[in-house]
Formats: sequence, C-alpha cells, structure tokens
Amino acid sequence: MSPATWTHQQRVERTIAAITLVVLIIWPAAGFSSYWTHQILIETFLFGIAAASLIFLYAYGGMVSLAQTALFGIAGVILGNLATASGAGGTSKGLHLGWDPTLSLVLAIVGTTVIGLIGGAVASRNTGIYFLMITLTYSVIAVYTLGQVTKISGFSGIGGINNYTPGWIGNILAHPNRLYYIALGTAVVAYVLIRYIVRTPFGVSLQGVRDEPIRMGSLGYAVPLHRTLAFGFAAFLAALAGVLYVWWSGQIAPGNVDLPETISLLIMAVIGGLSRIEGAWIGAFAFILMDNYISTSTHIPLIGFGGTLFGGSFNTVIGIIFLVIIVISPNGLMGLWGRLFETRRQTTGGESPDAPAAPPAGPPKVSPDRPTT
Amino acid sequence: MKKYKLRSWKSAAVVAVAVTAFAVWATSSLAASHAATVKVAIMTDCKGAFGFGYELDIGGAQAAFAQYAHGKPTNKAKPSAGMTNISVNGTPVQIVGYGCGNDTVPVAVTETKRLMEKLGADVMVGPLSGDEAVYVANYAKAHPTKTFIIGTAGSEDPTMQIHPANLFRYHGDGAQWNAGVGEIAYKKLGWKKAAIIVDDYSFGWTSAAGMILDFCAVGGNITKRVFPPLNTTDYAPWVRQLPPPTQVDGYFSAIGGTGTSAMLKAYEQQYGKLDPNKWIGNLFFGFLGADKTIAPKFVGAYIGGTGTGPGLKTAQAKAYEAVIKKWYGPAKLNPADLFVANYYNAAWALVQGLAKSGGAVGTALQAALPTKLKEGYAVSRGGYAYLDSRRQAIQDQYQLQLVKNADGSVGPQTVAYVPAVDQSFGGLVKPTDKPYGRTVPSCKKVVTPWQGKIKVVKNGVITSQVYK
Amino acid sequence: MSALAARIPSREQVGSYLTWRRLPTLLAIGLVAFAFVYVLFLAKIPADNGATNWRTTTFGSAVHDPSSFLKIVLDSLTFAAALFIVASGFALIFGLMRTVNMAHGAFYLLAGYIAYEVQQKMNGSPGISLDTSQVSTWEWLVPLLIAAPIIMAIGLIVQQGLLRWNQGQELRQALITIAVSVIVADQIIAHFPRTVSTGAQKYGGNAVDLTWPGWTDRFVNLHVGGVQYSLARLGILAIGCMVGLGLWLWLYRTKTGMKIRAGVDDEKMTSALGINIQRTFAIAFVVGCGLAALGAVVWASQSNISSGQDGAWLLNSLVVVIVGGMGSIFGAAAGALLYAFVANFAAAYLPSTGPDCCTQYSTIVTFVLIALVLSFRPQGLFGRPG
Repeated sequence: MSPATWTHQQRVERTIAAITLVVLIIWPAAGFSSYWTHQILIETFLFGIAAASLIFLYAYGGMVSLAQTALFGIAGVILGNLATASGAGGTSKGLHLGWDPTLSLVLAIVGTTVIGLIGGAVASRNTGIYFLMITLTYSVIAVYTLGQVTKISGFSGIGGINNYTPGWIGNILAHPNRLYYIALGTAVVAYVLIRYIVRTPFGVSLQGVRDEPIRMGSLGYAVPLHRTLAFGFAAFLAALAGVLYVWWSGQIAPGNVDLPETISLLIMAVIGGLSRIEGAWIGAFAFILMDNYISTSTHIPLIGFGGTLFGGSFNTVIGIIFLVIIVISPNGLMGLWGRLFETRRQTTGGESPDAPAAPPAGPPKVSPDRPTT
Repeated sequence: MKKYKLRSWKSAAVVAVAVTAFAVWATSSLAASHAATVKVAIMTDCKGAFGFGYELDIGGAQAAFAQYAHGKPTNKAKPSAGMTNISVNGTPVQIVGYGCGNDTVPVAVTETKRLMEKLGADVMVGPLSGDEAVYVANYAKAHPTKTFIIGTAGSEDPTMQIHPANLFRYHGDGAQWNAGVGEIAYKKLGWKKAAIIVDDYSFGWTSAAGMILDFCAVGGNITKRVFPPLNTTDYAPWVRQLPPPTQVDGYFSAIGGTGTSAMLKAYEQQYGKLDPNKWIGNLFFGFLGADKTIAPKFVGAYIGGTGTGPGLKTAQAKAYEAVIKKWYGPAKLNPADLFVANYYNAAWALVQGLAKSGGAVGTALQAALPTKLKEGYAVSRGGYAYLDSRRQAIQDQYQLQLVKNADGSVGPQTVAYVPAVDQSFGGLVKPTDKPYGRTVPSCKKVVTPWQGKIKVVKNGVITSQVYK
Repeated sequence: MSALAARIPSREQVGSYLTWRRLPTLLAIGLVAFAFVYVLFLAKIPADNGATNWRTTTFGSAVHDPSSFLKIVLDSLTFAAALFIVASGFALIFGLMRTVNMAHGAFYLLAGYIAYEVQQKMNGSPGISLDTSQVSTWEWLVPLLIAAPIIMAIGLIVQQGLLRWNQGQELRQALITIAVSVIVADQIIAHFPRTVSTGAQKYGGNAVDLTWPGWTDRFVNLHVGGVQYSLARLGILAIGCMVGLGLWLWLYRTKTGMKIRAGVDDEKMTSALGINIQRTFAIAFVVGCGLAALGAVVWASQSNISSGQDGAWLLNSLVVVIVGGMGSIFGAAAGALLYAFVANFAAAYLPSTGPDCCTQYSTIVTFVLIALVLSFRPQGLFGRPG
C-alpha cells in the first residue's frame, strides 16, 4: 500500500512510530538516565516481543496461549546450560557445557522452536479453553522441570549467563548500550516479521483457520498443521525474548516461568490490546512503568482498600487497572486509541476483543473459541 | 462518541513534546547527591513467604545505624518509616531505598537493579532469601565496585561456590544453622536410624544437609530421604513413603512454612499422635509463626536454630538485646529473631568498614570490612564471629528445644551451644563439591570440629556439661 | 455362539485397525497397561543389600504389599473427593455459562481464611493452632456456615456486576475473573490472618490451620489386610459423596436443576421458552462459589490454608474439569478421580532408585499425562465433541 492509500489513522500512527523510533535510536546517546535506558526500555523491548508472540497467536490464530512464558524460560535455560562454563569463578548450576556462545544462541532459539512445534502438534486439535488448558499444563511442567531437574537448572536457576555473550556482541556488562540496541533491533525485526508472515499465504490461511476451521478443513487445508506452525513461530519469538532476558538479567530460574509471571505477560498483552501487534510493546511499557514506579512498598490508600504493608498496593492497583481496561475497552489501549479515530459508527458497549481487520479479511467472529455447529 | 480527528502534524507535535517532557521529568527524578555521601540500600522481602521479614530486617539494620552511626529513627514503632542523620566519622550515609522482593528471582532482579542502578546505591545490605542471594552473588561478580553484605539468606552457593570478592556474609548458611542437632539426636535421644523429609528445593536441601552431616558424622544412618515438591497439596503419599515409626528411631523435617502443619497432620492421620522425641525439625518448627501452629503439638522436641540464642544470658547478648529495645522497642522486634539479628550484624559491619575506610566505598570498603564481628550471641574465641577465606562467617550456633513457658505459651528455648561452626563443616564440604542436593551430602562417619564439644545450655547459661 | 463368533474381529479387521495413524493411541494404551502391570505385579521393594533397579519402589507391588496398596487407593479416593467438591463448583459455572471463573481459587482462599477467623474466635485461644480435642462439631460447622454465605454473596456481586452483561464473550469473562482474582488475592494478603497471638505479626497470608472436630481423630479398622485408616479422610470421602449425590439430585430431580441442564444444552432455546435464564445463571454461580467455600473448609482442616493456594486450587479445578469433560458433574467426578489417582500413584509408585529419582518428579509426570489425555481427547474424557 502506498502512502497515498493510507487512512488517516494509519498516517498518524506511522508518523508517531517513525518519531518514536528515531527517539529510541538516539536515546542512549542523549544522556538520559541509565536506569531508563538499561532497565525500563530494554525490558519493554524484550517483554514486548514475548507479548507479541501471545498477541500473534490470539489475533491471527485464535489461540490463547499461556505457554509463552514457559518457552521464554526454556530458551534462557538452554542458553544458560550450553554457554556457561564451570570451574573457578563459574556459576554453580547447569550443565556448564561451555560451548561457543554463538552456537549456543542458535541452538537455544532452534531448540525452543522445536519444543514449540512439538507442543503445538500435541495441542493442535484443541481449541478455545482446551488449548488454554494444555498450554497452562506446559507452563506447569516447565516450572517443575526447571525447579526439580537439578542437572539443568534447580531452584535458584542458572546465573552469570551475561558473561558469555557471542564475540560479535562483545561484553555487554561493560557496554550496556549494546544490549539496548540489540534489543531494539530484535523488537523491530520481530514486529516486521510478524507483519510479513500474516500477509503470506500461510498467514492468510491461518486467519481462515482461526475463523472457520471446519470450512477450511473441508477445503483441504491442514488445520492442525497451521496451528502447529503458528505455535512454532510464536515459540521462536518467545525464544528471542528469552535470550534477550538472560543477557539482560544474567539469571533464569523457575520463578521466571511460574503462574504469576504468566499472568503478568497476559496482563501486558491485554493492556496493550489483544487485537494489534503494536499493543504488545505499548502494554509491556505500561506494565513495566507501573511495576517500577508504583513501588511495591507504597500504599495507595484509596485504591489499595486500606491495605497493609504486605498487600493492598501494587497487585491491587494493577488488577484494578486491568479490570477497568477490560471493561471499558477490551481491545486495550490500542482499542482506545482506535476509538479516537472512529467516525459516526455506533459502537456497542459489549464489544469483545476482536481480531484485526487486516486486508483483505473481514471482521472476525466474536468468540473464536466457541465452535460453530 | 467523540468525533474530532487528530489534526495530524500539530497533534503529533503536541504528543511528542508531552512525551519528551515526561521523559525529562522521569529521568531527572534522580536527585543529585553529595559526592561524598555513601548510599546504602536495604534489600528485603515484603511479599511472598517471608513478607513479614520487612520490618524486622529494616529494624535490625537501622538499629545498628542508630547505635553506631548516630542514626535517628523516624518512627520507633515502624522501622520502614526511615532513618535520618546517619553518618560515620563525618561521612554522611543515606539509605536510598528498601528493596521489596518476594523470594523469587525475577523480582530480585528488578529490585536489585532498581536499588543499585536507578537509586545508585554503593552498598547493599541484603537480600533476605536464599534464591535471591544466588542472583545477588552473580550480580556482585559482575559489579565489583559495589559492595554486598548478605542479610539473612541461608543458601550455600553465594559464599561456597560463587564467592565473589565483594560479597560478605556475617551469619551461617542453612546447613550451619542445624549443626549439632544431629549429634544431639544420636547422643541424647538415642537415634541410630532416621528418615528425613525435605522440601524439594534449594533451601530444603541446604537445611537438611546440616542435619544429615552432623547425624551421620557421629554414626547415625539416614535410611530414607523423601522429597515432596514445593506446593504439594496432599502430603499423604509423601508421608507414606517415610518408614513407619517401628523401622526408624526418628524423623528429621526440613519442610517449610506453608507445608509443615499439613505434613504433620498427614503423619498424625497415618500413625497417630506425634511423639516429640521422634521428630526434629528445622527452624520452621519454632520460628516464623510455627511456635503457634506447630509447636503446641511438639513440646519437648528439639529443633534446629538460626544462629541466635533466645534467652541467652551472656553480657554480650544482653547488651545487644538492649540496643534493639532502645531504638525500636515500640516496634516490638524480637532481638533473637534471625531477621533482626543478621541484618543488625550486617549493618554494624558496614559501619565499621566505613569507619576504617574513611568513607570510601568500592574496593577500599571491601578491604576495610571487619573480618571479625562481636555479634550478640557469639561466645567462642573471645565472643567474635570470624569470616573465613570466602568471606563467610564462622559462627556459634545454638540448638533449641520447644518448651512450655510460664504463661502457657510454647516457644523455642536454647538448650545447646555449638562452638565455631564453619560452612565447610570442618573440611567436609568443599567449594568444588556439587552444591547441596538430594544426594549431597552423603552419609559418612567423620569427625566434625565440634563433635563431642556441644555444651548444654540451661536457663540461658552455657554450662560446662557436654552432650554425651 | 455364532453371535459371539461374529464379534471376534477377523484378521482383516484387526489388521486394518493397526495402521500408522493409530500408533499414538496404541502406544498410549500400551503405556497405561504397562503402568497397571508395573504397580500390580512388577514393583519390588529395595533389596536387602540396598541394590535398586527400575523395578524398585518404596512399597513393592500390590500383590506383595496389599495393605499399602489399599491405603494409597484410599488416599487417592479421599483426595479425589476433596478435588471433586471444589471442582464441581467450577464445573457448574463453566458448564452452564461457559464462564471460566478464574477467581475460583481466590474465593477458595478467602473462604478458608474467614473460616479460620471464625473458628479462632469461637475457641478463645487466639492465633494458636487448635488440637482436635478442643474442637466440637459445632465449632467446625459454624465457620463453614459463616464463610460460605459470605463467599456466595461476593460471588453474586461479581457475577451480577461484572459478568452478566458480557455473557457469551468467553475470553473477556476469563480476563475479568483473572483481574478479580489478582485483586482478591492481594487483598487477602493485606488483611489475613487477623487472629494471631500477641507479639506475632498480623497479615501477610501466612499459613494457618483449621481443625477437624475431635471425634474424627481416630482410626477405622477396615478389616482388610489389617489396614487402619484415618476417619477424617474417610469423612472427606463422605462429604464428597454427599456433595455428588446432592448435586445429582438437584440437577436431575428438581425444576431448577432441569432449567440448568436445559441451559447447558441450549441456552438460547431455553431462554426463548420463557425461562429466566439470568436467574438460573446467578443461582448456578452462587452455588459454585458455595462449593468452593465448602472445599476450602474441608481441605483447610485436612492440611492448612496459606496464600499461594489460590493458584494451586484454581489449577486443580481447571485440570479436573477440562480432563473430565466440561459441563457435567459426572465428568468432574471422573476428572477428579483420574487426577487424584495419577498424582498419588505417581508419588508412591514411581521407581525410587535413590534419593535423586524419581518420586519427586511425580508432579511433572502427572502433568505430562494430563497433557497427553487432553491431546487425545480434546473434549475431555466425558465431554461431548463440539
């Protein structure tokens, strides 16, 4: 589509995106606080990729996956086991194979994608709540495997992974801006990749499978195969996020893949908007901002329902914000944004998170997981 | 619905300006501080399994600052309200923030980075829990100019396997806390064969290691080890795997707070009333609320300590307890509580280090931190706890017994004194060994440095009587 | 005779069954059969010299040690009963309204803490765990009778306020209940436990116990293999059976139940027939929450209640209902039995070749099996396809 055919909304969005990208590129050099550069923004980029994998599966595949966090963790664990070395001054957990970091990186991403393909194949005939349930099962298996199979991880997890970055990246502890640019670049690549994939024949038929699986099946499309491949691609994205995470934090532990973390990723995706990929980074940014600035030991008396030290603060606040967003705008912040551009079209209060109207598909079904008879 | 459209360029410009202004505000919220001020962060938990340690940890640390560094508590009933006026020989010390972890690694990551990078702390006192400490140890390795003094984490790895040069721990690890209790089981209770039931995660293994090392060293035999996963809902099948009371002389338990009463109830439903002479638990039998849930069933049972000696009547202990009462009496902190005592000792060590380094931080501070500390409950070697070559404390340990107090309540009382327990258990555990796990340590008959030297403590007085 | 002979599959029929497509199913059947044979016959206790192999388990086979086997079967049955009580509430809501009530675990937790507060207040020993001898039947029932209506009221408010107007949007309802569960769980940590002994720290969601009444604290002689089994656990089984019977009677013998079943089958048609489907929804949701409260009081007496259990029991309910097949109480019972048996038998009968293997992996094994069941029968064991 050439710029002449863009709608007004698209024009505004793309302008803002271009400006934001420029700002982000010059951000580290502009001398803003290191905390913002190296914590908030990097976290936004990498958790945005993980949230984008979740949104991709929902918006284009009609599948709600709670296994993205688990895949994210698995990528980190594989990288940790392969790349770290033991011996004096080494970390204390994991296989410590000490392989070449670039090879470990490739194997971590490929390995997680393969695990995703297998998991997707097992779950490919399930839809809706059953698919959610199976992915939740994967998540539980990942938590216990990472916690109890002490040869590969153990409860405190594998540490010091950010000492073993590939040579072409160099030492990111000494040069943290490198990780910033890698994360930014990977996020952009992930976004472009998703936008590209949904326009390929595979992507279009995937959306068909989302909407009308039975009709697509009778037309000869292999419905389970589409779902499997979509899950594998989402696993690939989650792997990218996982690798960036362990480079950023250095440690991967079962606590990174447990139920609260899974719910956090879901909250990020929903706050941003389940219908648009851009929502992944918007939602991640909003969540991380709140996480960092509503300090968990602060009380917000009114919203916190008079909570005490131990509760009634951050989680209550995020829960309320989440609830308000779902009730007002089930398409999250991107949905609110989209409403600003609406013309006289009447919107009902009961709109549900809908899949995007990507050309040339029409408006999708209200609840993709309710099978049609 | 709103019908206005954004006038694209003007509105985009407005948005951009707003975003930039916000960014500038956010990033400039780092207050500029005096170059000479030492910034300290206290890292603790405020959620999760050890959330109630928050006030205890902060209170302990700040009591030390108040006593030795002129600190003024903002609110004597609530330590987390803050403390001002801290200075060491003229160098001002500022507490930049309190970390709020929840016992898991991801929150430890964000909190550590927030404290050390956003708030720019030079020194961290903390963290509270074992898994967080493993992360902090790895972080410390990557940031050699910052100094880290562990709060109360009981994991083995930070000082045994990882041991970065800028990480210090002035208290024992989870295994050290249980040193001696195995020997008491063998000698006093006459146990020869025992089974052990352990939470299947790092702290469980570390705590169990202390019991196993000691019990096997003196000649006991652990016949069965059972490892229920964390967050088990039904403990029945796990308790069934324990040998019946006819086949063993006793049971060791390293099951943590959320599962202890569930596991014990399951046991009662299989074998009847609990016999206090057949059970020895780790700290989860007497501390952290268990003195109200577990202890009433177990009057007379021995339990593992935490490096503090509740009720000890030495002058040093009394002086320490008076200090805590003086500064935070209204907050009702229990001085013998491990959270209070260990953070107190860590903060006091920091003050001593700053005094010696003249207010310098970084490697100068690390060289200046004391290698021996006159801890409240230390008795051996002149009343000092010493740091070993990996900056891990060699600390006196106290084993406890659950007794009925005069007012009818049940609580732990010090009954045994184990001198100078080191992390390697006298060379049994080496840094090149695999960390404590399900098969580590194995059951071996050896001589620990304190074997045969565990003294009986009666009414807070260390007698010359030895456990035989 | 010829009819029987006609039913024996012919060679061609067997051959056509054994195709490549059936391989996963055959493998699964083979594995299950092997597991049965292993538990019943193959398992062995460790040899006297301590040598172990893949056949070594803690208890040995069922034929070798029938009393242990029986005890573990009973453990599984009683745990299944507790799972059923909680999961049946979830199944009722899910089956009728297609609402995944992700706040079910949070309601469970709240009920447990409220019941603890009530039992403590009745007994006058603040904050100290009660011994069974101190608790009478009345002192166990009243906490239930106070906690359950509170939870049911909260459930009604949530349903009417947040779920009624977006009926049919399943994902949205799931997300709304997730938000509710996050808020409720956080508030529970902020405000419970309230009754603690002097000097102890209030709040924080620490573990506290409910206690069974004193008369449950004995063993029942089962006269089989010399097995003495705890009366309290049998009591859970009894309560579970009563719940099952009560639900069955309600759903299949009363008018309201008929409306609920009709609503499960075809909501639009039921509504078109003039039945107040909204009121039926509300009743089902409230009953579901009440069952969560009952389950909480039962299991908190059996073990304890602490923060973090809301996630665990939500997961348990989800697994039971999905595996059993949504929408049917019978399915919930079947799912509970399957889950409890697999979890307990994995914990007891996985090979124990040493401390490092394998019983502690029982949770992983259980969930792998759950995933396999779901992949083979996507609609659950007793669910209807589509």
